[in-house]
Amino acid sequence: MSDATVFIIDDDQAVARSLRWLIESVRLKVETFTSAQGFLDQYDPARAGCLVLDVRMPGLSGLELQERLKAQHGYHPPIIFITGHGDVQMAVRAVQAGAFDFVEKPFNDQDLLDRIQRAIAHDAGQRDREEQRSQLKALFASLTPREREVLDLVVGGMSNKGIANALGLSAKTVEVHRAKVMEKLHARSLSDLVKMALQNQGG
Amino acid sequence: MSEWSGTVWLGAVALVLLLTLGAIILVYLLMRLREVRQRLSDREAEHEVVLDRLQENENRLRAVFESEPECVKLQSADGTVLEINPAGLALIGAEQPEDIIGRKIFVIVAPEYRDYYRENMRRVFAGESVVYEFKAITLKGRSCWMESHAVPLRDARGNIHALLGITRDITEHKWAEEQARRHQSELTRVARLSTMGEMATGIAHELNQPLAAIANFARGCLRRLRGGEVTCAELIVPLEEICQQADRAGEVIRHVRDFVRKRVARMSAVDINLVVRSAVRLTELESRQQYAHVGLDLAPQQPRVWADSIMIEQVVSNLIRNSIEAMAEARSPHREVTVKTRQLGEDAVEVEVSDLGPGIDGALIDQVFDQFFTTKPDGVGMGLSISRSIVESHGGQLRAESRPGGGAVFRFTLRAIGRTLADNERRYSLHH
Ligand SMILES: Nc1ncnc2c1ncn2[C@@H]1O[C@H](COP(=O)(O)OP(=O)(O)OP(=O)(O)O)[C@@H](O)[C@H]1O
Ligand SMILES: [Mg+2]
Repeated sequence: MSDATVFIIDDDQAVARSLRWLIESVRLKVETFTSAQGFLDQYDPARAGCLVLDVRMPGLSGLELQERLKAQHGYHPPIIFITGHGDVQMAVRAVQAGAFDFVEKPFNDQDLLDRIQRAIAHDAGQRDREEQRSQLKALFASLTPREREVLDLVVGGMSNKGIANALGLSAKTVEVHRAKVMEKLHARSLSDLVKMALQNQGG
Repeated sequence: MSEWSGTVWLGAVALVLLLTLGAIILVYLLMRLREVRQRLSDREAEHEVVLDRLQENENRLRAVFESEPECVKLQSADGTVLEINPAGLALIGAEQPEDIIGRKIFVIVAPEYRDYYRENMRRVFAGESVVYEFKAITLKGRSCWMESHAVPLRDARGNIHALLGITRDITEHKWAEEQARRHQSELTRVARLSTMGEMATGIAHELNQPLAAIANFARGCLRRLRGGEVTCAELIVPLEEICQQADRAGEVIRHVRDFVRKRVARMSAVDINLVVRSAVRLTELESRQQYAHVGLDLAPQQPRVWADSIMIEQVVSNLIRNSIEAMAEARSPHREVTVKTRQLGEDAVEVEVSDLGPGIDGALIDQVFDQFFTTKPDGVGMGLSISRSIVESHGGQLRAESRPGGGAVFRFTLRAIGRTLADNERRYSLHH
């Protein structure tokens, strides 16, 4: 989490600089951009952190940026919108469209910093889960087609004997496949196996 | 015959001759005398005719003088009133000629205008014809405005011996002028106000930026100071930033002030239906966003109104916006706004904006026009207050009503350009 960066996008440079000064006071890394396009141009999905941006921006709007990120990368860092007087509706729409949070101007500094911390934690959690998911995928990919069949039936709740009958194998062979699957997936118990299989399906 | 008798005869002849001559001379003289008498009496008759004519002329002039509806008077160089007609007596509040004849005219000139009056008199006695306005206080104490046309009067030798002045009361005209001026300045004030309303959101944003920056810099400084982990040198840059942003905010305010000062009312003959259409265009975005429809019911061929079209457009768009907002807020199923125009009698045009929203609580119906009265989380509460002053400064009225079946109705009137205005224009052109 220490390498998380807060990306500030605000067309008003003075405001962007002031946010940087404020956010750096809690020892977070900050980068500022004066337009959504400028941010997109250098965006690296691998970098952890969150976005803080003004709802009202000339050119590419905050909402549009959010859509582009989602369309291009599937995942995007959490976005905190800063809204002015009278822009609340816009912020609500942004949140409905998947923004993480919004703060109304004038805002309490502690409030903003708390939300930023929460957004960063959320991002880290998302990234952890994503990491696990891709590891899991790699493990599943190492199974042979037969092992895959056996696994599916095990998770489906069938006994070894039932599986042997269904696949026209001996109970012994099924036993061997099953042990192999457990080993390959680093599963310690049947319930582990079931959980992992479900997780993989969900991803 | 004796010598003596011859002498007597001669003497007699001589006497007869003498007598005859004398008679002839006498007759001649008598005839001359008659002639001269005749001539004299002819002259006299002629003279009488001239005198009669003179008298006739004088009578005619006097009749004109006496019956002239405006004040006519003669003054000497020192301001003494020599003659004045009855209209003049009435104008200056005198009961009889003695009240003013022989007195100085300055008794009716307001003190602050006496020097100016004297200067004009001086010019007349120097041979000029002048026109001047001054404030007067009549002998009865009524204060009023007067306008005088004064010319020099010359005697047979061409010397100026008096001032002939024709004076009239222009108080009413002056008052109308004053009213017009006040009206204009009120309109201008409202124009400023409404521009402010228009700009309020923009200004708020412009000011919020530097204020937000200042707050962020200042809080960043406080946090570091409280944490005890900052050096004085590190605080210089953010403090400088704070100063700059404060200047920036001041600059915004100065701009606003300049801008607001410059907006003046621009009156013209306006087709109200066109104004309504452009007001609807102004609110198109909101109506689309809030799924509202703005319907028009415009009377064809109505008289034009005398108005600042931009301001009236603002009133109408304010009302439409309020309707849309009210219906959106109440989640009304049928979001319909209707703008109606119609002619009211000879000299007024009415604009009505109605909606199918929740209407206005009877207890609040007057309050909604108060400045800063708002029931909206992000409302300013200026819309109706500004709209009402705009309409009133145009000489009309803006009223609200709640319909029994729900929905609000706002109506305002504007004076149509009809006979009244034409009259005014004629009257003014007489003076210019
Ligand atoms: N058509 C309407 N239906 C119901 N209520 C209305 C309507 N128009 C005005 N109101 C009430 O009158 C109040 C004052 O209106 P006004 O336009 O002066 O201010 P506002 O709309 O609240 O704010 P703003 O200054 O941004 O226009 C509104 O807040 C609302 O409560
Ligand atoms: Mg309003």
